This record gives sequence, structure tokens and C-alpha cells, in this order.
Amino acid sequence: MITVQDLHKTYGSRTVLSAVNLRFPSSQLTSLVGPNGAGKTTLLMMLARLLKPSRGDIRLDGSQVTGIPIDEYAKQVATLRQTPEFNLRLTVEELVAFGRFPYSRGRLTRHDHRVIDDALAFLSLTALRGAYLNELSGGQRQMAFLAMTIAQQTDYLLLDEPLNNLDIKHAVQIMQALRRLCDEQGRTVILVVHDINFAANYSDYIVAMKDGAVHCDGQVSDVITERRLSELYGLKFDIAHNERGYLCNYFKPSGNLE
Amino acid sequence: MRVYLPCLFVLLCGISLLVGARQMSGYQLITLSDDAWLTLTASRLPRLITVSLTGVGLSICGVILQHIVRNKFVEPATSGGLDAAKLGILVSLTLMPTAGAGSRMLAALLFCFAANVVFITIVRRIKFTNTVLIPVIGLMYGGMLSALAEFYAYRHNILQSMQGWLLGDFSKIVQGHYEIIYLILPVIVLTYLYAHRFTVLGMGEDIATSLGMNYLVTSTLGLMLVAITVSVTVIAVGAIPFVGLVIPNLVALYYGDNLTRTLPAVALSGASLLLACDIVGRLLLYPFEVPIGLTTACVGGILFMVLIVGRTQR
Amino acid sequence: MTVKTRHTVWVAVVALALAFVFVRSGFDFEYVIPKRLERLATMVIGGICVAWSAITFQSLTGNRILTPAIMGYEAVYLLFQALLMLMLGTRSLMLLGEHGNAALSILLMLGYSWTLHRWLFRDDRDNVYFLLLVGLVLTMVITTFTQFVQLKMNPGEFSILMGYSQATFGNASATQLLYATLIVATICLAGLKSLPMLDVLLLGREQAISLGVDYRRCVQRQLLLIAALVAVSTSLLGPTAFMGIFVANTAYALAGTYRHQVTLPVGCAIAIALFILAQLLVEHLFNYKTTVGILVNLVCGAYFLSLMVRTRGTA
Repeated sequence: MITVQDLHKTYGSRTVLSAVNLRFPSSQLTSLVGPNGAGKTTLLMMLARLLKPSRGDIRLDGSQVTGIPIDEYAKQVATLRQTPEFNLRLTVEELVAFGRFPYSRGRLTRHDHRVIDDALAFLSLTALRGAYLNELSGGQRQMAFLAMTIAQQTDYLLLDEPLNNLDIKHAVQIMQALRRLCDEQGRTVILVVHDINFAANYSDYIVAMKDGAVHCDGQVSDVITERRLSELYGLKFDIAHNERGYLCNYFKPSGNLE
Repeated sequence: MRVYLPCLFVLLCGISLLVGARQMSGYQLITLSDDAWLTLTASRLPRLITVSLTGVGLSICGVILQHIVRNKFVEPATSGGLDAAKLGILVSLTLMPTAGAGSRMLAALLFCFAANVVFITIVRRIKFTNTVLIPVIGLMYGGMLSALAEFYAYRHNILQSMQGWLLGDFSKIVQGHYEIIYLILPVIVLTYLYAHRFTVLGMGEDIATSLGMNYLVTSTLGLMLVAITVSVTVIAVGAIPFVGLVIPNLVALYYGDNLTRTLPAVALSGASLLLACDIVGRLLLYPFEVPIGLTTACVGGILFMVLIVGRTQR
Repeated sequence: MTVKTRHTVWVAVVALALAFVFVRSGFDFEYVIPKRLERLATMVIGGICVAWSAITFQSLTGNRILTPAIMGYEAVYLLFQALLMLMLGTRSLMLLGEHGNAALSILLMLGYSWTLHRWLFRDDRDNVYFLLLVGLVLTMVITTFTQFVQLKMNPGEFSILMGYSQATFGNASATQLLYATLIVATICLAGLKSLPMLDVLLLGREQAISLGVDYRRCVQRQLLLIAALVAVSTSLLGPTAFMGIFVANTAYALAGTYRHQVTLPVGCAIAIALFILAQLLVEHLFNYKTTVGILVNLVCGAYFLSLMVRTRGTA
């Protein structure tokens, strides 16, 4: 379980995160939601150790993350940020093979190859394994990167807006894959996501942030309420809930926008 | 701040007139004795005019280039302009050795303009214009042009004297040998008239076109103005790096990027910086001079470092 | 591309080497051949330095248009040589001897890079682009100083200085070569272990950290290695600014894979071949009307321009 205590982040006089206290439940999918500038990505980057907090601490299964050496941390936490413009001549398989770096440092064993095959199969990418990355569509590329983090075989997976620039089919595929990672493999997934509907339908736990602080957090049923979301986003929400899932309608709010 | 700048400029002008190898007391200045008058008109005044105009011209060049390329770190020294001018002078010297300064300037102008056009064409194909990559590429581009010049100079054995052109030095400025610098005046006037359009240029081609501006014509005009200024200054004075880089950035920090408002500040600051460097250069090893290229390199370099470090703090 | 093409490259190198050593030599094993062998050795070591430093630097910065020279190493070397010539005149040659000069130059360049890194890497800052910007400014400032110094010396000193500022192969003695070989061999062996890490660096800073690479320390160490390689090649040959770009990009194209295990050796082969070719051209085609340094810079500079146009600057 990842716990965050009294986390702060300031840049000079600008406070980006203040007094964040959270416990991310294990083997569950947690979404970080909220308007722009809420501090969601900053929080995620600090969990990934890509940013240093100004104050406060982060604990992984009880021990402080600052004490864990880099290569050990890589075996427990994998991070996926926005896919950069990619112009490396890498095949999908070669990319996924990078995920084994923390374990084999470049020399792939038979076990590594098996893990790579499993990761590719998990996302149904086996047919594309020999294709070059820059020949794939954005959605397929994102899946390939996800396969790499899967091959890293970590307990925790951190993703920063994985659905950006994806068409709906690939977005659904990614979310379904993440859901399966939690259910079938017991991994903990934490992701920053903009689309509140995806968050509502696939998460177990939601952390809503606003203006650098936690607005509210809890089980999906507690957070996805019209009152809470209106407070968070400043929009009127119409939430429909049936056995298929949630539908948050904020597209044509009645009345005036504040 | 708006009042502060012109006052500073006037003060620096005054100091510049008084400083020099030949001692001139305030008394002599006011009574305008023959000696003082000669020094004043033959050397001090031309020098003052040249320094100011060069400062104004170079900072304006910097600002125009930065708006066309949309990158904060571009100026003639980091876009190959200076090296192209050097190549132009070299070619004209070897092909037409008897031609005067006028035709040399023309050659420098043509080469500088062509090099700028090539640079802009290349840069436009680059996707992320807002990075440090552009000036780095510009520097390497300039290095390549320099290599070309070296190749040429080596064959004609003028390699060492060629280095001399490239170092800015105001000590050569004497009445009768500097008038070419007045060509910067029309450049300043035109820039002021077109200031609004250059600002729009800085927003990118798409926005400029959607606002009804002919992007190609305006940017070509801008490049031509830059080429004229650079060739004139290289012929008259030599190359002076950093002014076009530092001044627009400093001014933009305080006044923003709207050229119609900030152009006077840019011009005055450029002139003031160069005057200050020139005065320092004349006083440091009195009565000998440190070439202006050196002082601006030091001062400009430090200022630029401060700028970068400050910028990346955020 | 495959093992076959890689072998072809090495075959070409060997062929060129043989041509260089033996063509028009009259098989004079007393003087001509040993001299040429010395020069060949210089080319080999220089080629390895240039290729290794350029490819590694490009992997660190994530961009294929850059070269270590923009960090200012070569500018520092040129300034040092100019100052030496100005202050001591031609006596400097006798005073320091070639060993002293080379040793001092190397130490100076290493010192410069160490100070740069110390200053730039504090406060959690490991943005390579910031490093580039500072390198840019420093190169400009140092070059201005060098121009000033060059003006002050007399033409005789200037032409000797030019000997140091242009890449040539005739300067190094056998002992120098020996030292250089030892240094380069140590660096390359030390670097071999971190080749997989270099591969990961290609994915970018954040991905590398996520995969467990100590990014900051890795970059620092690689930059030091690069500085050492550049120092050795500059003091042995002179500045070779653009050559790294040409060599690196051709290596990527020929190697067909991203793996440093393959691109580094191919790059070395290309660099060596380029040097030999340039020297052959200077000797037989241009009749010494130009130097290897100028020729290489010219060709590679033109290549650099075309590369920028073709790849849109993000290669």
C-alpha cells in the first residue's frame, strides 16, 4: 500500500500541492481526477520519484520511498508518462523487452522472454510484435508502452493521462487492460485521468483534487455524486447509474455556467 | 522605469564623449577650444553615434529574428548571420580586391540575407521551435559557414586577417570612415513602422495568416532589415555578439512582447548597453582599449547566464 | 542490415588502411611506411574517440543533430593553445614539449568539464537542454576571446597556431600515441559495462528512471567519459566539430538497430574510414591546398545542413 503523509510541493512562492494525506488501497484501481492545475500530475510524479517533495513523506508498504535504491524501486513501481514523439527504430518486442531492464540489465534470459511474451499476449499485441513503433497508430503505440510496463512486473503501476489522444476503442481497451491487471494479477494501479466517465466506470477508488489539495476521496459510490462533482468542477452534473455503470452528463447543463 | 532609461542613455552619452585617450576637461568642452572641438568631431562624436546606432541596430535585429523564428535565443550570432557576412566580405575581397567598402557591404548583405533565408527555411521544418535546439543549430550552422570561409581563406592566405574582421572594435571609428553606419537609420524607421506586424509574426504563421497578414512578405522584409544591419555593422565595426540576444529578453521580462510598445525600450537599452561596454573597455586598460567584442562577450555572457538560470529556476 | 553489411564496413576500412599505407610509398620500410603507420594509428584512435563520444552524446541528449563540441570543450582547447602561443611565442613548443602540451590540454579540458558539471548538476537539475544552453553561451564567449588573442600574435605564431587548430595527423609522436591508446582503451572498457544503460537512456529521462536507471549519476559519468574522449582526440588531432554528427548518423543508418553494442563499433569504423579518405584526398587530390580538418568540417557541415532539412530537427 502506498501512503502519503502531509505532502507539500512549492516552487518558490507558488504552492502546487499542500497538506496531502492519502492511502492508496492495494490491488485496486485508483483514479486521480480534478480540474486543471489541481496537482494530480505533480502528486503522481512524486510517487514515481520523478519529483522531490518539498515536505512530507511517501511510504511504500511502510518504508520510506527515499530510502529505497533506484533499481529496487523500479522492481516495485513502474511509471508511464505521455508517449513522446517517437522516432527510434524500435519494434514492439524490443520496446517491451526494455521492461526487463531492472532485472536483467540488458541480458535477456529465457524467463525474460517468457514474461515478454505474456505481456504481449495480455494486450493482444502478439501479432504486432515485429512492427516498428513509428508505423503504429497512437493507440497501438500506447498499448505497446503499456506492455512494457506490464513486463516490468511491478506491484504498482502509475500512469499519467494514458488516454490522451486515443480514439475511443483504444481508450476502452487500455482501461479494460488496467482493470484486468488489478483483478487477475492483483496489481495496484494509480492513474491520472481527465475523463470522469472512464474514472467512474473502471475505478475502485477515486481521489478528487482541486487547487493543490485533496477535495474528497473514497470509494466510487461516495465520490461520484452530483453534489461532489459539481463542487469539484463547477458544473452541473446529471449522473445516471445502472448495472452497466455510471454515466456522468455534464455536457449541456441547465442554467448558467458560473 | 520609462523615465529612467532615456536619462541613463543621455548620461552614458555624456560620459562617452568625455572618455578617451586624449584628456579633455569639462572646461575645454564648454569653451570648445580648437583641440577639443577636433577631438570631439573627428573621433568622439562619430564614435558615440556609431556605438549608439550599432547598439540600437543589433538589438532590433535580435528582436526581429526572435519574432520570426519564435525562439527567445536567436540573434545574428546564433543564426549564422555574422559568419555569412564574414564569408561575403571574404568573397568580395578575393573576387573584387579593388572594390570599395560599398561593394563589400553589398556582398556581405547578400550572403547574410541568403544565409538567414536558408536558416529560417530549415527552422520552419523543425517541430519544436521553443527549445534550446534552435540557437544550438544556428551556432553550428554559423560554424559551418565559418569552416567554408576558412577553406576559402586558407587557399588565399588571408586567414589571420579574416579573424580580425570578426572582432568588434570601435577604435577604427573616425570621421570619414564611419558614415556607412547611418544606413541603420532607415532600418530603425522601417522597424518602428512595421512593429505591429512583427509582433503578429511572433505568434506564428497560422495566426498571422488568419489575421490577414502576408507572412512571407513580412518575414522577408524582416530578414532584409536584419541583413542590412548586420552587414553594415560588420563592415564598420566588426561582429558584436550577445547584444541582440540579451537585450530583447531583458526588455521582454519587464515590458512584454508587444513591439509597438517595447521597441523604444529595446533600442535605448541596446544603445545603453553598448555604450556602457564601450566606456568600460576604454577605461579598463586606460589609455589602451579592450575591443568591444570582448567586453560584450563577457558582460553579455554573464547577463545571459543569469537569464537562463533565472528562467529554469521555475 | 545485418552482420554482412557490418563486415563490409570493416573490410572497407582495412582496404583503405592498406591503400593509405602502401600506395605510392615505394615500399620504403625505413621511413615512409613507419611514418604512415603512425599516422594511421592516430586516425584509428582519433576515429574511436570521435565516434564514441558523438554517439554517446547524442544518446544522452536524445537528439541526432548535436555534437559534444557545442559543450565548449574544443573552444577551451583552442583558447588554451592561442594563449600559450601568445604568451610564450614559439618557445612554448620547446618549453612544454609535445607531451607537456598534450597533457596540459587534456587536464584543462577535463577540469573545464568537471567544473561545468559540478555547477550545473546541483539542485536536482538534470535537464540536459539546460546544459546545452550553457555550453552554447560558453562556446561563444570563449571563441570571442580566442579571436582576440589570435589577433595579437604575429603571423608566424599564427600559422603555427593554425597547425594546432586544424585537424591533422602528423603531430603525434609514438609515445603520445601509446598514452592515448591506453587512455582510450581504459575508457572504452569502462564504458562497455554501461552499454545497456545507454540503450535505456534512449527512451528519455522519465522512462529511464522508471526502469531503474540512476539518471543523474549515469549522465554525469557519461559526460565525463565524453569529455575525456574529446580531450584525447582534440589534443591528438585538433578540433573535429561536425564530424561526430556525420559519423553518428551514418552509423545509425548502417547499423539498422538502436543497440549501442552495434552502433558504437560501426561508428568507429566509419570515423576511421572517413579520416583515411580525407587524408588520401588531401594528399593526392588537393595536393595539400587544404587541410584534413577543413575538408572534414566542410563535408560534414554540408551533411549536417542536409540532415536538418531532411529530418525536421527532431531526429
